[in-house]
Parts: sequence; C-alpha cells; structure tokens
Amino acid sequence: MSVTVGIPRALLYYYYYPQWKTFFDHLGVKTLVSRETTRGILEKGIKSIVDEACLPVKLAVGHVLDLYGRVDYIFLPRIVSTARREYICPKFLGFPDMVRNNIDNLPPLIDYDLDLYRKGSSLYNFFYTVGRQFTHNPARILTAYKASMESLHMHCRDMEAGWLPFEPGVNHNHEQRPHDGNIHDVTIAIIGHPYNIYDRYISMNMIKRLQDYGANVVTADHLPEHVFRREAEKLPKQLFWTMNQRMVGAAFYYFDRPEVDGLIHVASFGCGPDSMTGELIERFARKESRKPLLNLTIDEHTGEAGMVTRLEAFMDMVRWRRQLDDVAATYY
Amino acid sequence: MYGYLGIDVGSVSTNLVLTGEDGTIEQSIYLRTQGKPIEMVQQGLKQMQAALPGKVKVIGVGTTGSGRHLAGVITGADIIKNEITTHAIAASNVVPGVQTILEIGGQDSKIIILRNGVVADFAMNTVCAAGTGSFLDQQASRLNIKIEEFGSLAMQSSVPVRIAGRCAVFAESDMIHKQQMGYNVPDILAGLCEALVRNYLNNVGKGKEILQPVVFQGGVAANAGMKAAFERALGHPVHVPPYFDVMGALGAAMLAREATNRKTTGFRGFDVADRDFKAGGFACDGCPNVCEVVEILESGQVIARWGDRCGRWSNALDRNQKIS
Ligand code: SF4
Ligand code: SF4
Repeated sequence: MSVTVGIPRALLYYYYYPQWKTFFDHLGVKTLVSRETTRGILEKGIKSIVDEACLPVKLAVGHVLDLYGRVDYIFLPRIVSTARREYICPKFLGFPDMVRNNIDNLPPLIDYDLDLYRKGSSLYNFFYTVGRQFTHNPARILTAYKASMESLHMHCRDMEAGWLPFEPGVNHNHEQRPHDGNIHDVTIAIIGHPYNIYDRYISMNMIKRLQDYGANVVTADHLPEHVFRREAEKLPKQLFWTMNQRMVGAAFYYFDRPEVDGLIHVASFGCGPDSMTGELIERFARKESRKPLLNLTIDEHTGEAGMVTRLEAFMDMVRWRRQLDDVAATYY
Repeated sequence: MYGYLGIDVGSVSTNLVLTGEDGTIEQSIYLRTQGKPIEMVQQGLKQMQAALPGKVKVIGVGTTGSGRHLAGVITGADIIKNEITTHAIAASNVVPGVQTILEIGGQDSKIIILRNGVVADFAMNTVCAAGTGSFLDQQASRLNIKIEEFGSLAMQSSVPVRIAGRCAVFAESDMIHKQQMGYNVPDILAGLCEALVRNYLNNVGKGKEILQPVVFQGGVAANAGMKAAFERALGHPVHVPPYFDVMGALGAAMLAREATNRKTTGFRGFDVADRDFKAGGFACDGCPNVCEVVEILESGQVIARWGDRCGRWSNALDRNQKIS
C-alpha cells in the first residue's frame, strides 16, 4: 500500500528536490515529479490563478495541476525562511494557500512550515513533522533526515563543481565538470531565479542556446554559499531576502572574475525582488565594471524571436569587445 | 564591378542596399513589408537588378531584421545577423566614433551604446507601441496629416503642447483633448514628438549614458520634428545619416563583405525573384507545447523550417538535406 507524493517541478525544486526525494525514499514513500514545462502546463496555471501572481507562481500552479489525479499527496512546503534572520520571497509563503483556495478536489497537501528565521529553529523539526505523516518510528525519520541532508550537500557540491542542476552526466565525484569538447571561447554568467533559468520552456532554452553560440555558462549556483555571502556584504545594507543575496553576491563575484566575459540578468515580469536585484546589479555594473550586462525580463508574452535577437546581439558584443581588449593588450 | 547586397526584413519595411567593394552605397531600396516578406524580398531583388548597371556581380549577401532567416534562405545569404549588430556596424562606419545610436523603426525601437568603437550596451523595445513609428503614423492619420508632412509641420511650432506619452492609448486620448481645447496642429505635433522622445528615453534609454556623437536612424529619423525633439531633450546635436532608413541593410552588406573574405558567395542569383516560394506552417501536436512551426517551400519542396522548440522539425530537414 505504498503511497505517492507529487513534487511540482517548479520554484525551489531545483535546489531541494534531491533532498526531498531521498527523504521520502527512506520512508518507503514514492515520489513523482510533474512533467517538464510545456505551453499546456503554463496555460493551465495561468488560467487557474489570479492575475497578480508572478509568472513563476502561475507556472507552479500548472505543475500542481499536472500532478492532479496521479498522486496521493502533493508536497508544497510553506517555505518562509531558509536561513537565520532572512526571508524568502513572500509569495512562497502564500503559495500553498493560493493553491488550496483556487483548485478544488486536490489530493491532500503536505504544507508544513519551513521556517529557519529564528534562533533555535531547526530543519529537522520540519522533516520530523512531514515524516510523522508516514511513519510513527522516530528513528526511521532521523535516518531519512540524515540521508536527505547528505543528498542536499551532494547536490550543492555537484553544482559547485560546475554542473547545472540535474544535468545529464553528473557523476557526484565532485571533480570539476569535464570539458565537453566543444569550443567555448567566452564565459557568460547567468544570474536569475533557478526556476527561471533552469526551466527550459520558460528560459526558452537560454543556457543551451548560449552554449551553442560557444559560451561557457556559469550561474550563482556554481558558487559556494560563503562566496556569494561575502560578496553581498559589499552592499552597505544586508539584504534580508536569501535569493537576492545569492544573486547579487554572485553577480558581484562574476563581475570581478577575469575569465567571465559578460553577465545576463534574468528577471520575471512583475517580480519585486527581481527588480531590486536588477537595479543593484546594474548600478554596480555602471560604477565598478566594464563588463557587458544584459537585462532580460520574462513574461508570458515574451516572444522567442526578441529573446534570440537579444542573446545573439549580446554574444556579438561580448566577442567584439574582447577582440578590442586583445588588440589593446598587444599595444600596451 | 563587384558589390555586396544587404537585406533587412522588418515587420514594417523591407530594405535592400547594394554597396561597392569599398562599402559605399550604390543603390538602396525601401519597401513596405505589408505582411508579405517573401514577396517584398523578391520585389526588392527585381527592383535592385533593374536599377543596377549591367555589369554588377554580387559577391556577398547579408540579411538582418526579424525576417532575416527567411530572407537568408531565399537568397542564400553568407551571413544572417541580428539587427542590433548590423545597425551598430553601419553607424560606426558612417559616423566614426559614434557613441550612441538612437533607432526608431515602425514596430520597434532600440538604443545602442558604443564605446571605443564597439557595442557596450543596448536595449530594445518590441512591445510598447508608444515608443515606435507606428504610433506617429496613427496619430498623424488621426489628425489627417500625411506622415511626410509631419516633420515640417512640427517644426513650425513655437510652444509644443505637453502630451502624456506614457502609453499609446493615453497619448491618443490626451491628444484629442488638446485638439478640442483649440491648440493648433503644429504645436500638437511637436508635443507628440516630445512625448515620444520622453517615452523613448525613459523606457528604452533608461539608465543609459547618452554621449556624443549621437546618431539617429530608422524610418522615424526622416521626421525633422523628432530630430529636433531629441536635440532639445538631450541638449546637444543629433546626426541623421544620409541613409538613415536602410542602416540595417547597410550593416548586413558590410558584414557580408567580411563573411566572404576569401570565400565565394552563397548568393543564389537575382532570379530567385521569379521562383516560387511559399511560407506555410502548422501547429505541431507532438506534445503540449503545440509549437507553431513555420515552413518555407520552394516549388512545393520544404527548404527551411523553424519555430519548433525541440528541433523535431528543423533537424529532420537537415538530415534529409544531407542525404539528398
Ligand atoms: S521572487 Fe519574484 S518570481 Fe520568485 S516567487 Fe517571488 S515574486 Fe515570484
Ligand atoms: S515541435 Fe517539438 S516541442 Fe513543439 S509541439 Fe512539436 S514535439 Fe512539442
């Protein structure tokens, strides 16, 4: 009588899925991830939710609906805070309620609070509460929890070794990602929410496109936490939004790296945190750096053609500029 | 004589230029696309051929604009380039040392910032109509004024009327209001130019450092009222190059020269103008993405496809072509 828990391929899935899956595995609970984003999934989400929601939240609703009828539970932790004295975007907090209020006949949601804001709060408490739904054996929950933490660390270390989340070929040996043999003469840093940049439909396959144009792509997630936190401290005031810190810190870091030729900031239309991140990054770029920066905003109406034009022009610009620098270098 | 052909297919206009080997323009053609890009490319080629002295041999072709792939397939282009790069190349050749390019076309507008001769930054507006030439077209026709006369009339204004230009819809109602209040037409037109310039600088030009020399190009640069409005807003002169409305095509021709350096061109000849090309398309039902796949057919044979997110259709074609 094994049960299946559905996990939407959206929002923080890109960071925490390995952890969640391992946890449920150890409790003997099956997991099912919603299918990759398609236009159909996005449209379902858009139709079922209020207009004010940002695109990623609408998409997440689409992914919840994709699990409809195929699972016994849906895992939608109410993520309030993932680090002490920091918050995650308030939309995450309201997400489970939004789903519950807008969609009828859903399977039960597992939506306990994940809140590490306060001193003394612990991630274990969250997993313990979740685990209690499926077993009464605390030892089993503890083992599952420990294994899940191990998976999370593995996932982070894979990314730090240069892999993209769930990239085929990832081997968990934490050596630097081997070179794929193609010629990548430039390196581009993409700064944006994981659910925007790693979702192939939403990002219109931006990463793959850039790779095809001959770019190495790096993201905020390739950096260990202490690096982007240290970089974000360059700001006069600490940002209390975790994801903004990560993105701003990573942008600052990559602006300083000689091997990075340009940065792309990807924002969701109507996302408050993103417009602030974008502003901070842009100011920094103007004051402290000569590196090209491209701001891309994604919404439901973003045309693929416009995006391709911008990416191509950006790559031309990066190469053209570098050529100039090379020429300058031989003269001085 | 040898020459390079540049073709810019946008949603509003289709432009062709032919340059000599040194990059100077020998011939330029400006057509309205009218939603028929294939026909217009063909018509442009015909007109070009007719206008050229007999002995011109095309030794390179470049295409640009939103229809660049289409034009590239039809003509056998040596290079297919986005419109930011081609505009920048053309402007920096025509006005050496240019640091800012303001470009306003019919359906879109962009700003390109150059430093030390290379693109340092750019932005595009493809959504908001209030920042483009079609907005001026619409308002001119509402006032019963030919778009050609717009600029000279606007220049007669002494006190431009302030018109809200944040969004095309508001601007329109505000303009009607001002008209009813009895303002004269030149002042309203000059006010429209200022509204458009303000809108452009706030949206497209947001946060960009506009340094001299400034080049103003694209179809709207024909409008002297717009040039004057930019100069007033920026407080320094703005250059409109002689071929302001075909700069994309010019840049494409210049790139074609680079691309064919020590190579022969893929140009399929002017007689492609008489061949039978059709654009078709279908909605793929392979998965819930329901991509709208575009097909270009030559004499009933599919020669190119795009629009499929997964590559299912465009890749299939490559394989067929390799086999045949
Ligand atoms: S950070 Fe932005 S995109 Fe993400 S959930 Fe919040 S509002 Fe939406
Ligand atoms: S072209 Fe590919 S991605 Fe698009 S609908 Fe067909 S199968 Fe799906």
